[in-house]
Amino acid sequence: MPSRRQILQSAAASGAALVTVPGWLAGCAKQGDIASPVANLDVLSAFGVDAALCTSLLGELGATGADAADLYFQRTRSNFLQMEDGRIAEASASIDLGVGLRAVVGDQQGYAFTEELSLDAMRGAARTAASIASGTARPGPVAFNPTQGGALYTLAVPWSQVGVDAKLPLVRKLEGYARAADPSVSKVTVTWNDSEEQVVIATLDGKLMHEVRPMTRLWCIVTATRNGQTFSNSANLAGRRGVDWFSDQNLAELAKRAVDRTMVLFDARRPPAGEMPVVLAAGASGILLHEAIGHGLEADFNRKGTSIYSDMVGKPIAADFVNIVDSGVEPNERGALSFDDEGNPTERTMLVEKGVLKGYLHDSISAKHYGVKPSGSGRRQSFRFQPMPRMRCTFMENGPHTRDEIVASVKNGIIAETFTNGQVQIGAGDYTFYIKNGWLIENGKVTAPIKDVNIIGNGPESLKRVTMAANDTQLDTGGWTCGKDGQGVPVSQGLPTVLVSSMTVGGENA
Amino acid sequence: MLDTLSQLAADGVARAKKLGANEAFVVIRRNAKTEIQRRDGKTERIVESVARSMAVQLYVDGRYSAQTTTDLRPEAIDAFLGDAIALTRALEPDPHRSITDPALFPRAQAALESDDAALAAGLSAADREAWVATMEAHARKHDNVISATANLTYERSMGACATSNGFAGTSQGTHIAPSVDVTLRDEGDKRAEDGDYAWTRFVGDLPSAASIGDNAIRMASTRLGAKKGPTLKGTMIVDPRAAGMLIGRLLGPATGNALQQGRSFWAGKLGQKVLSDKLSIVDDPLLARGLGSRPFDGEGIAAARLPIIEAGSLKNAYVDTYYGKKGGMAPTTGSASNRVVSLGDKDLAGWIAAVGNGVLVTSWLGGNADANTGDFSFGMRGHLVEKGQVGGPIGEMNVTGNFITLFAGLAGLGNDPWRYSSTLCPTLVFEGVQFSGAKA
Repeated sequence: MPSRRQILQSAAASGAALVTVPGWLAGCAKQGDIASPVANLDVLSAFGVDAALCTSLLGELGATGADAADLYFQRTRSNFLQMEDGRIAEASASIDLGVGLRAVVGDQQGYAFTEELSLDAMRGAARTAASIASGTARPGPVAFNPTQGGALYTLAVPWSQVGVDAKLPLVRKLEGYARAADPSVSKVTVTWNDSEEQVVIATLDGKLMHEVRPMTRLWCIVTATRNGQTFSNSANLAGRRGVDWFSDQNLAELAKRAVDRTMVLFDARRPPAGEMPVVLAAGASGILLHEAIGHGLEADFNRKGTSIYSDMVGKPIAADFVNIVDSGVEPNERGALSFDDEGNPTERTMLVEKGVLKGYLHDSISAKHYGVKPSGSGRRQSFRFQPMPRMRCTFMENGPHTRDEIVASVKNGIIAETFTNGQVQIGAGDYTFYIKNGWLIENGKVTAPIKDVNIIGNGPESLKRVTMAANDTQLDTGGWTCGKDGQGVPVSQGLPTVLVSSMTVGGENA
Repeated sequence: MLDTLSQLAADGVARAKKLGANEAFVVIRRNAKTEIQRRDGKTERIVESVARSMAVQLYVDGRYSAQTTTDLRPEAIDAFLGDAIALTRALEPDPHRSITDPALFPRAQAALESDDAALAAGLSAADREAWVATMEAHARKHDNVISATANLTYERSMGACATSNGFAGTSQGTHIAPSVDVTLRDEGDKRAEDGDYAWTRFVGDLPSAASIGDNAIRMASTRLGAKKGPTLKGTMIVDPRAAGMLIGRLLGPATGNALQQGRSFWAGKLGQKVLSDKLSIVDDPLLARGLGSRPFDGEGIAAARLPIIEAGSLKNAYVDTYYGKKGGMAPTTGSASNRVVSLGDKDLAGWIAAVGNGVLVTSWLGGNADANTGDFSFGMRGHLVEKGQVGGPIGEMNVTGNFITLFAGLAGLGNDPWRYSSTLCPTLVFEGVQFSGAKA
C-alpha cells in the first residue's frame, strides 16, 4: 500500500522476496556513446532526437496549459555477474532505453513513457500526458541552455569501456579471500553489478541538463557450516565508482567483513523482548534517520498533511547536539546527483539543526506549494516513473560524546551493528528496522553477540530519546535502495554512535 | 498483436543461432498499463504506457548468459545479439547449464480465463473517473479525514516465447486493482492510516467502488488511538489479508537454489512432517481467473498442480532446470504461481470468539527472517483480543519466533481465503507466540 515506505538491502540471509531492485543490467564494452565532455546539444543525438524535436514535444506537452513540463531521456546499460560454487554461474546484461514525458498543473501530473523513440510514439505519449490540463497553450522553449553534470562521480575509466575480462579476476579474487578466511566457510557467492546511465532532461522553461551516472556494487555472501549448524551473512561495497575502487585492499576487507559477520552468528542469540536502551553503531545505523525522520520530511507527505511531521517545522524535536543532513553532493555516494531528475541542482539540505526541524525535502511541485527553492530532491526510478521528493544521502553530524561513554552508560541494552531492511508508517510515525548482527550490553560492558531482531519505535519519540551522540560519524559503504510508491532509488546513509534511551526490541523471553 | 510478438521471438532465435549460439530461448513481452489517481477532490495523476522488451538466454560453447533490451529496432537487435554472444564467449563453461528439457514444454494451450475482453478493450475515461471518485467519496465519510487517495490501475500483458529446441508459446492476461488510502487526524501530531484494495483478472469480479471506500475508512478509523500493547506470549490470530506474508516467508527458502546453496531451513526436511498436519499448500498455475495463473513458467515448463506442503510435510520444492541439475533434483517449476492454502471451518470472527484471549494481527511493518534457521522478527499492528471480543488498536510491537516452530503450533485455519492475492490464505491461528511491546 502506498502509505508504507521501506528500504531494502537484499541479501542471501534475508527473505527472498526482497531480492534486488530491478536489475539494471546491460551493456557490453563496445556499445558506447558516452555524453560529450562539454555541455552541448549533441547529447540528444544518442537518442536519435534533436533540439527542434524536443521543442516540438514540449510544445505538445504545454498545448493544454501545463505550467511545467519535461522530457526525461534515459539509456541505461547494466552488467551483472554471479560467481557460485567457484564458477561464474550467471551473467546478464541489459539495455534500457526510453523517454518519460510529463505535464504538470499545480499538483496534478499527466505522465506517459515510451521505449520507442519514434516521432509518432513520442507525440502520442505527449498528448496523453497533456490531457491532465485544460487551459491556454504554452509554446515550447525558443532555445535550450545546455548544462552538463557529472563532476561528483567522474570515473578514470567509464564502465562502458571495462570488459568482462577485467571483472572476472576481481570476482575470483574476492571469492578466494572469503574462502581462505575460515575453514568453516562452505559456500561463497559473489555478485557484481555495474551500470552507466545516460540522462538528458529538457524542460518547458528551456533547461537542458545532461550527465552520465555510473553505479557499481560488489556483494560477498558467505555460508559457513560448523557442527551441523549453517549460517549465512553478507557484506557489500557500493557507490558511484569505477573499477579502480575494487583494489586488493578493499576486496580483502570486504571478504573479511562478510566472513566475520557470518562466523559471529554461531555464538549469537536473541536478546530479551521488550523496551530497552539501544546503541546504534556508527555507519549503517543511519537507517534510523532514514525511517524515523527522513521519509516523514519528504515534502509531498507534508503538503498533503499525511506526515506526522506536517506541523513541526521551526520546532525543537531533538537535543541541541542533533544535526541531520540530507545531501546530494557527497562525492561517489549512491545518493549523489549533480542535478535531480527534474533538472534542479542538488544541495546539502539541513533537516535538523541544533535539534530544531529546519525544513523538508522538495521537488518542484512541493517547492511551489511552500514558496521555497526546490532542494534538488525530485527523483525517479527510471523514465517509466514521475519524480517525487526522495532522500539522497542522509546522515547525522558528530555529537559531543564518545562511543565508550555511550556504551558505559547503558546498564542493560543492545548495540545494533548491521541491518537488512526497514520500513515506516508516515502518519503514525511508527518505524522499524531489522538487525542482523549486534551485541548485548550488560552493566556497561559489551558481552554476547545477538542476531535477527526487529526493532520498532515511533519517529518523533525516538528523536527525543537520542540522549547521546558520539564524535565518530561515518557513511555506510554498503548500498541501500529506498522504495516509495513502487519506485526504488539508490540512497546512502550514515550516523555517529548514538544512544536511543528506549526502543521496543523484538527479542524472545524465556 | 500476439502474432507479431511470436514472430519477433522466432526471429530472435533464428538470428541468435545464425550469429553462433548453440541454443537460444527468447521471450518478447508487451505490457499496456493505465493508471488514474484522485486525491482530495481532483485528479492527481494520469499515467498511460506501453512497454515492451526482449529477453534472451544464450547457450554458446557450454557457456550461458541472459540479456534483455528495450531497444527493439531491427538493427539494434542485431547489434544486441552480436554483443550478447561475444559476452557469453568471454565467460567460463558451466556443465550444469542447459536449455529446458523439451519433454517439459506444454503440449496444449491451457484454458486459464486470464484475459478479460472488457479490460483488453480498455475502460472509458468516464468509467475510470467514476471508479476513483466513488471510492474517494466513500472513504471521506469521517470527521477526521485529512486526506484520501483513490487509485485505479489496470494492465494487459502479453508474452511470446520461442526456443531453439522446438517450443513456441504465448500467454496474455489482464489485471485490475482499485485501491484507497486514508489518513485521519489522531491524538497530538499522530495520524491514523489504512486503506483497502482489490485485485482481480476481470473487472466484473471486483467488489463495488463504494464498498472499497467504505472498508478503507472503516479500517483506518479502527486505528484511531492506537497504543503500544504489552510484551507477552500468547495466541496470535492473523487476518487473511496479512496471513499470506507468512506463507510466502515459510516457502521462500523451499527452492532448488536455496537447497543447493545450503541456505534453507528446509534442508534435510523433505518428506518429513515438521509442521501442523492442518497445513497443506498446493501451487496451482491452472486456477481459473487466478492472479498467478500461467500456461508455462519462465523457462517454458508446462503448468501443473504441484503439492508443496501436504499435511505438515514438504512434498516438493520450487526447482528450475539449472539448480535441479546442480543439486540432483528433478525440475518442478522455478517460481510460485497461485498458492492455495488448506481451509478450516470458521471465519475470522468465529476464531476471535473461539480463541478468547490473544492478539489479532491486521498488518505487518518491516521485519525479516533468516533463511538458514527460519528465525524471524516482524513489526505488527492489530488489536488485543479479550474474552472473545476485539479490543482497542495496538501497534509499535514485534512478533518474534521461528517458522518451523510457529507452523508446528498452527492451531487452526479459517474458511475465509483472501481473494486479492496469488496466495489464497485464510485466517491463521498460532499458539505460544512471543510479542514484544511495552514493559510488563
